[in-house]
Amino acid sequence: MKHAERTFGDTLLKVDNITLRFGGVKAITDVSFEIREKQIFAIIGPNGAGKTSMLNVINGFYHPQEGTITYKGNPRHQMKPHEAAETGIARTFQNVALFRGMSTLDNVMTGRLLKMSGPSMRYYHNKLANMPVINYLTYPAMWFGDFLLDSLYWGPYQKEEVAHRKAAEEVIDFLEIQSIRRTPVGRLPYGLQKRVELGRALAMEPDLLLLDEPMAGMNLEEKEDMCRFVIDVNDEFGTTIALIEHDMGVVMDISDHVVVLNYGRKISEGTPAVVQADQDVIDAYLGVAHEEDLIET
Amino acid sequence: MGEFWEFVLAPVLIFESWRFGMEVAISGLLAGVMYSLVALGFVLIYKASGMFNFAQGVLVLFAALNLAGFIGLGVPIPLAILLTIGIMILFAIVVEYLILRHLVNQEQIILFMATIGLAFFLSAFGETIWGSDVKKLDVGIPQGRFEPFGIQIQYLELTAGAVAAALVTVLAIFFSKTKIGRALRAVADDHQAALSVGINLRTIWIIVWAVSGIVALVAGTMWGAKSGVQFSLSEIALKALPVLILGGFESIPGAIIGGLIIGLGEKLAEVGWGPYVGGAIEDWFAYILAMVFLVFRPQGLFGEKIIERV
Amino acid sequence: MFYREAGQFYTSYAKDQGIFQLRQDKYGLWGILFIAFIVVPVGLYLLVQGGLMAASTKDYLYNSIFLLLLVNSMAALGLNILTGYCGQISLGTAAFMGVGAFTAFKFSTGLNYRIQHEDDAGELVSQLVPLLPAIDNPILLVLIAGFVTAIVGVIFGLPSLRIKGFYLAVATLAAQFFLVWCFSRVEWLYDYVSSSTIQIPPLKLFGLVVTGSETVMRDGQAVTIYPAAETKYLICLSLVVFFAFIAKNMVRGRIGRAWMAIRDMDIAAQLIGIRPLATKLLAFAVSSFFCGMAGAMSLIFYLGALEGAEAFNINESFSVLFMVIIGGLGSITGSFLGAAFITLIPIFLVVSLPWLGGQFGIPVDAAVVEHFQFMIFGALIIIFLIMEPLGLARLWQIGKERLRQWPFPY
Repeated sequence: MKHAERTFGDTLLKVDNITLRFGGVKAITDVSFEIREKQIFAIIGPNGAGKTSMLNVINGFYHPQEGTITYKGNPRHQMKPHEAAETGIARTFQNVALFRGMSTLDNVMTGRLLKMSGPSMRYYHNKLANMPVINYLTYPAMWFGDFLLDSLYWGPYQKEEVAHRKAAEEVIDFLEIQSIRRTPVGRLPYGLQKRVELGRALAMEPDLLLLDEPMAGMNLEEKEDMCRFVIDVNDEFGTTIALIEHDMGVVMDISDHVVVLNYGRKISEGTPAVVQADQDVIDAYLGVAHEEDLIET
Repeated sequence: MGEFWEFVLAPVLIFESWRFGMEVAISGLLAGVMYSLVALGFVLIYKASGMFNFAQGVLVLFAALNLAGFIGLGVPIPLAILLTIGIMILFAIVVEYLILRHLVNQEQIILFMATIGLAFFLSAFGETIWGSDVKKLDVGIPQGRFEPFGIQIQYLELTAGAVAAALVTVLAIFFSKTKIGRALRAVADDHQAALSVGINLRTIWIIVWAVSGIVALVAGTMWGAKSGVQFSLSEIALKALPVLILGGFESIPGAIIGGLIIGLGEKLAEVGWGPYVGGAIEDWFAYILAMVFLVFRPQGLFGEKIIERV
Repeated sequence: MFYREAGQFYTSYAKDQGIFQLRQDKYGLWGILFIAFIVVPVGLYLLVQGGLMAASTKDYLYNSIFLLLLVNSMAALGLNILTGYCGQISLGTAAFMGVGAFTAFKFSTGLNYRIQHEDDAGELVSQLVPLLPAIDNPILLVLIAGFVTAIVGVIFGLPSLRIKGFYLAVATLAAQFFLVWCFSRVEWLYDYVSSSTIQIPPLKLFGLVVTGSETVMRDGQAVTIYPAAETKYLICLSLVVFFAFIAKNMVRGRIGRAWMAIRDMDIAAQLIGIRPLATKLLAFAVSSFFCGMAGAMSLIFYLGALEGAEAFNINESFSVLFMVIIGGLGSITGSFLGAAFITLIPIFLVVSLPWLGGQFGIPVDAAVVEHFQFMIFGALIIIFLIMEPLGLARLWQIGKERLRQWPFPY
């Protein structure tokens, strides 16, 4: 078993007493857990347990009514999804959410957008944050200059595009999808689409990678490939991974720490072995066998 | 009161002369009823097929053209109405057969653009057959007006109000009491589930297009009786779009109340602010109102808040 | 057999990221540009000189077909950026073109405003006072028109943060109706003339007369010089080619990828760090920039004088939308194909229908031709959406793929 000798860093993300409601419906009730650096962290639970909602909360798509999230040591204010992405959180989706009209390469390159210099005001804002006020006049001008270079596809911009293409190609090599580089992703089979989606997330070079059922709907071979990629990403880049998965075999094999949700509540937490033996978890998955039922049969 | 406030409050100040104010308000409300009638057709189709039918306005024109055309040929009015209803049903079948069934599972925006194409085709088709001159449409609605409490009201406006009320009642009964109505609601709630209990989607589409064709006929008759049947009718009918935005795409009461708000609002704005800015602000007031409204409440007055899922 | 990638390898990412994947495509484009810039003007000139074509036919070709085609191409490029690449449907294209046209007009006359005062006899005297020196460079006017329209476009694009799809379409209808209303009600826009018509003053570029006419003394005689159709054509062509190149660069780079990400899956786009509002507004700005230029070109080169409420009515908006749908959403080539298609069909019908009617003894007047045109457009839109939602550009691509495999498809 590999997780015996694995060591982890500090706490990367801490979720404290999160409650999320839609109108009167509680999707998540009072859930807390910690994800530590370099961990492979699994969230499991039956359908409708609030797993995807939990990921949505983490990347700022839903805003919980109660509770706090601490990320990289700082308590997080209510942020928008793109702001969460800027802090290094990447994500794949349960139902593949690729940009269907674009090729594999373009999808991966889109993942590089945040690493590119612009043209976005954010970039100049960060760059000039500590400079005199006069710069607030210069950065629209700088933005426009960059915008013009972009529209001419020339000079520094072209160099940057090439540099990021190189990074994108590394991801493509890593995931072994070179042959479908130019194929519009809409035409790819499901298993490959999932892989491209992982590629797009990896291109962001995230600190925290959220995977929503990365192996759903795959055959055995594809699952094994995907497991290998997940472990390799964690090993080679040291990326912290939080994943949701229904395949218990996979979860027990690759994860270091497991949280079990049921009806929006955390019912168990620990190493795979601990969770596996937990009576509450078994009940949640198999339904509670009532004593009287047993007697009658 | 300063000039500025006089300008800002102009639509309200109309009521200084309460009779004139009431007349303006009533004519606005009744124009609103007309918009609602057009909007009803949109709502029906949207609920049943998720299709935003841009051609509904042209459907109004097309129905009115046919009716006016038949009457012009000397066909007795009841028979002309029956003939037009027949044409609207035939039209629904043709649309389903040639267009809808080929666009199943397409994105909504593609469907929307297809209905723009349909609108172009239909308006030109109607005018090719019946000619593009302005036609009078007289189906026996009494002309003239009466004056309760010194407020002038057109009989036509009153009739339109009554017809709209009757139509909404009939539709409500149709939806809640008949088997077809229940099937329609099932389809509106969940296509897949409706299919799985054996509801035939294509039949439903034909029915719903035919019903909104008939609703369009009612709307077209009212508009035609008021201002003649001509191409500009389809542009007036475009006003039903802001009405829908206000009321929400899926709500019949929304369509009615949205229509009333738009009708009243634009008439008051026109009479109040129009003189200051050169008039004809009716052309755009409804759209700007809807746009501002959208920014604050994207789901409309009666629409449900959309929870996005990933 | 001749059209395939065999033997063409790229050894650097920079080369691999070029506009064309195939050398043959590149040659094809150079060929088309050569024809458009050299063969057409020279050929027509020679035809007229050789007496094979009436000078009026040549002017008709330039003024009524080529210029319209170029104006429409520019507008279609603009709408395609917004609708085809960024997925935001707009029904207000014509109004944005109108903003461009009126901007060009106001700057060409020096942003006149009116001062009124009573003279000694107590009568009202009006006087137009320019704010700026009048600009007489058509290209500068077109660019200014683009920038001003971009600002207007951003304002009307603001609701796109909250609303999507056909809700947004209705919001753009607000732009359409409101702006067109301005074109006939805000007197300042058309210099207070009662007909609300705007007319472009004489403009020159590099000493060449572009609009209006110029009287010069030559050999002691006054000679009036009228603008050559070729001049207008070549200026428009250069503008369209240059900005098509700009558009292509944008859509193949990071800006275009952000637009397409928003179009294809806006939630996923946000979760990888794309700011939806900024990205959509940039699309509105760039799109309006192109539409504004198209409007200014329409006024300066194609129409010369126009009435805003009539020239930029809602049917114009639809017509540009049709160009984009038929040509191909999300394709620069498609914008040109669509513009050509929608521009040429009416011209074809105007010529062929009366002739066809004559064969059967049916009188065909202008209204009938217009109705036929509407019916054909409407039917084509539906047919394309059903058969090939990606339009002529996709058909063109399929054709090229076939050609690449020919004659050995396996």
